[in-house]
Amino acid sequence: MGEATFGIEFDAMASRCGVRLAASDAARARALAGHAIDEVRRIEAKYSRFRDDSVVAAINRGAGGAPVAVDVETRALLGYADALWRDSGGRFDATSGVLRRAWDFRRGTLPDPAVLDAARALIGWDRVELERATVRLPRAGMELDFGGFGKEYAADRAAEALRAAGVRHGFVDLGGDIRAIGPQPDGAPWSIGIAHPREPGRTIASIALADGAICTSGDYERFFELDGVRYCHVLDPRTGMPVRHWRSVTVVAPVAIAAGGYTTVAMLLEGAAVPHLEATGLAWLAVGPDGAIVSSPGAG
Amino acid sequence: MTEPKRSLRDTGAPGLTPALLAAALALPGVAAPTATQAAPPERAQLDVRYLRYQDSQPGLKRITASSPSVGLKVPINERWSFEGTAVYDSVSGASPRWHSAVSSASRMHDERRAGDVRVTRHWDRATLSLGGSTSSEHDYRSRAMNVLGTLSSDDNNRTWTFGIGRANDRIDPVNGIVVGERKRTTDLMVGVSQVLTPVDIVQANITHARGSGYYSDPYKSIDNRPRERHQTAMLLRWNRFVEPLGATMRTGYRYYTDSWNVASHTLTGEWVQPLKDGWTVTPSLRYYTQRAASFFYDTVYDPTLGAPFPIDYLSNPDGIRSPDARLSAFGAGTIGLRVAKAIDRSNIVDFKIEYYEQRAGWRIGGAGSPGLDPLRATIFQVGLTHLF
Repeated sequence: MGEATFGIEFDAMASRCGVRLAASDAARARALAGHAIDEVRRIEAKYSRFRDDSVVAAINRGAGGAPVAVDVETRALLGYADALWRDSGGRFDATSGVLRRAWDFRRGTLPDPAVLDAARALIGWDRVELERATVRLPRAGMELDFGGFGKEYAADRAAEALRAAGVRHGFVDLGGDIRAIGPQPDGAPWSIGIAHPREPGRTIASIALADGAICTSGDYERFFELDGVRYCHVLDPRTGMPVRHWRSVTVVAPVAIAAGGYTTVAMLLEGAAVPHLEATGLAWLAVGPDGAIVSSPGAG
Repeated sequence: MTEPKRSLRDTGAPGLTPALLAAALALPGVAAPTATQAAPPERAQLDVRYLRYQDSQPGLKRITASSPSVGLKVPINERWSFEGTAVYDSVSGASPRWHSAVSSASRMHDERRAGDVRVTRHWDRATLSLGGSTSSEHDYRSRAMNVLGTLSSDDNNRTWTFGIGRANDRIDPVNGIVVGERKRTTDLMVGVSQVLTPVDIVQANITHARGSGYYSDPYKSIDNRPRERHQTAMLLRWNRFVEPLGATMRTGYRYYTDSWNVASHTLTGEWVQPLKDGWTVTPSLRYYTQRAASFFYDTVYDPTLGAPFPIDYLSNPDGIRSPDARLSAFGAGTIGLRVAKAIDRSNIVDFKIEYYEQRAGWRIGGAGSPGLDPLRATIFQVGLTHLF
């Protein structure tokens, strides 16, 4: 009761990250936040595709070769990638990261069709040989990528690390993927703003969150425009092309890895997403192509 | 070409389903298991079940019971919840008047109406509830009250449970052997559950009950039991989440002893395996072994009086003794299977079948009571759970 809250910011996973929690003083807050930051860094080191010593790099190096042994945590995450693939009718594909070879969002040009076709030929979660304790990418050049659920997983694990350290009031924010540990010290929920997809710095709504997680996926995070068409970083593995339709989708779920999964899949489902979002029974809010907001009953 | 090893549900039709959330929650360490759910349930739950029980011994189909029941759990607000169940049992068949004797089995038909209610107050880390129950048959009426409390540690990894209960029974058998007899029982319980690792929870509790009054079976011959019974039981449970399979293993051991010198050990194990499309299968096994009550007498009868009179009957006709096979020494095994299917987010149907067999020869740690027929029982239950 009556404890102050402290915000501790840090950079990880190519995002602006932060922890807000209640503590008796700033030093204690920093010490507690260390539990979360350590866990985020552990997951980043383990699953980053940019680090040669990561588990993902080892799996990718083994593409076309022998099965690669994986530990329980990695196997569980691969199982979740499988669930995402099934649930999305194959639209969420953890092997679709190779499309980055064709798309350059900094230069803002359309990909060379031959390069895009070559990349598409390396996509296929259904061809990944997933066994009890091993995984094998059957073709050299195939790549696994934990983008789309790795950061969300880190948010959940960091929140649980804080809870285990005794934190009862706070939340973890990894670049907008937010997982709460409990309400504010006075019992009121946190108010989480949802970014305006076209006006940086503005919000379109705020959602009260005391427990659970909120994630947003949007076409504004990385994109370029060419001849009046917006090309965003969410790519459909079937065509290799950016998704259209939603400017952003926000989902509130008990854990961030589920909320993030639902938002990404909803982006990939484009105009067909609404009945599927409704079927989840969760709270959600989506900004359509004309800027109009659609949401679950009672949300927003 | 490698054959695709996995196929999409419904030929490629996408669908965001609660299955994805379940898969997410099953991931290690993303949502810590908590030792108890101190918060009231978020949705109301209605359970409708039908149970059928049938037991038999060689040459005698004994008791058949059918029990429809309905249960309701409702959150009243953020701090209060209510639950209640109502059961109607219809029991008919024959039960031996002594030991497992078939020829003189008494035919019976009985109906039982029972219900219980519980009101719970929830705090952040504690609950306190008051429960009451009643059960009535034409010759037996029971009323009970109890208070249960739980208290969780700051990290929610440990939960203490305390309970105290009191039951008053009234017995008026139709044969008039006794009239207006009573039985009163007080019981105490203390328990603790502890999250050991993100995938292991252990639980221990001890219950002690002290009762006095009429314990005999008025419909059994030569049944004269002590008017006091003090019972103590210790239960240990270990639940483990098996990550690679998304399954839960539940194991338990219970030791029981009482002032009648009955002692028993129970070992249970079950495996809860969620499958695709909302199916869950739960195979289970249970083993039970029991030492006889000190006053249980074997199937050895007075040479002149014959069955059911024990050898010392003439010298001590009012002695404490019982021929009830439930108080004999025996071992028993149960094998069961429960299959549940979540139709959608709000409806779950389940079906359970259990087979039970009890034999003197299956006792471990001593000889079983000789001369008793084995008992077999099948239990079949179908249920619907509706959340709203």
